[in-house]
Amino acid sequence: MNRDMELIHRLLDGELSEEEKRDILIKIGSDPVLKNEFKEIEKAIHTAKNSDRLIAPASFTSDVMGRLPIRKDSHIKMAKDFLFRGRVLRWNMATALASVCLLIIVFAGVFQFKGKHDLITYTNAPGESNITTVRIDFYSPDAKKVAVAGDFNKWKVDENILKRQENGIWTIEIPLKPGKYNYMFVVDGKVWMTDPNAESYQDDGFGFKNSVLKVAKL
Amino acid sequence: MDKDDMRTEEYSVIKQCMDGNADIYAVLVERYKGMVYNIAYRMLGDTDSANDMAQEGFISAYIALKDFKKNSTFSTWLCSIVINKCRDHLRSKKATVSIDAIAEVSVSKIATPEEAACNRQIRHGIQTALNELPEEYREAVVLKHIEGLDYKEMKDILGINVNALKVRTYRGREMLKKLLKEGGLFNE
Repeated sequence: MNRDMELIHRLLDGELSEEEKRDILIKIGSDPVLKNEFKEIEKAIHTAKNSDRLIAPASFTSDVMGRLPIRKDSHIKMAKDFLFRGRVLRWNMATALASVCLLIIVFAGVFQFKGKHDLITYTNAPGESNITTVRIDFYSPDAKKVAVAGDFNKWKVDENILKRQENGIWTIEIPLKPGKYNYMFVVDGKVWMTDPNAESYQDDGFGFKNSVLKVAKL
Repeated sequence: MDKDDMRTEEYSVIKQCMDGNADIYAVLVERYKGMVYNIAYRMLGDTDSANDMAQEGFISAYIALKDFKKNSTFSTWLCSIVINKCRDHLRSKKATVSIDAIAEVSVSKIATPEEAACNRQIRHGIQTALNELPEEYREAVVLKHIEGLDYKEMKDILGINVNALKVRTYRGREMLKKLLKEGGLFNE
């Protein structure tokens, strides 16, 4: 391909500098062969661009959905889930009191509870003994919008929007049942971020880490 | 919805699919079926094969969702899967023609006046010409001029550096021009 033809192609792609554009347009204007080449290639591109688009068959989506395989967990994942999956323990007040008394006797002293995550606090929601309100904080002073998406909201990015505090910390309180939840922050609607203060992390399958939150019954 | 919003939404949909909510995959199928079906049709030249390969592409993408990288776009990733399906399909039919074998463009299939008259429908005419292009040039012309992608997107789909892609596109255009001209499309 000679230099002039390369310039014609780059001209058609809109990639020439003003100087290059002026030079090649002068050449095209003065050389009938080159002018014809330019017009024909331009016409070929125009023909391709304006060719009709086909519409996929009406049953296309249902056909694809009907052919999707059922996802099966690997044995390793099943074993991991069996060993480490969060579980909900059912209890009653008598058992709880007995357990507390036992702990007091065993340790014969002060029982201190300290969460691993100082940005998350747990409190019982009024009137709902099996629901825990979880406060999630995220420091991002430059963000315009922060949402949290996770297992608890089916990874929807617009369901749990954090409120900005004056100190650049974004906060939300979410009522959750006891269990283990994966989550990530979505900053400004486009950047997915792992919580730097999460209790633990889990591979998200995309080469990044999900933050993990465990909600226990108090 | 801008590109960033769409990417965020698609990432959310993929997460839900991986969590076992297969039904939501229909969002992605609906969004990209037109693009994928048209690429497959332009690559293969017949609607039945295009339908098969486009569907296969979506199913393979679903199975491989765990391999999708968050810093790429679903459409680009899906296109690369579908193009590979089309390549395999063409090879299985032994329908490809190597670039080396085509020093000069053969226009025998569209050169006669009778056939040229039959090719007056633009869509049919352009497809006839595309079918004559070597696979590498056809991919470049379809993605660049029929799907309207830029060279960066084409690079992500085809895994070829931009300079090589430009050469393929330039040569593809020149062959397409010759084929359309000799097929009577420029006389319309």
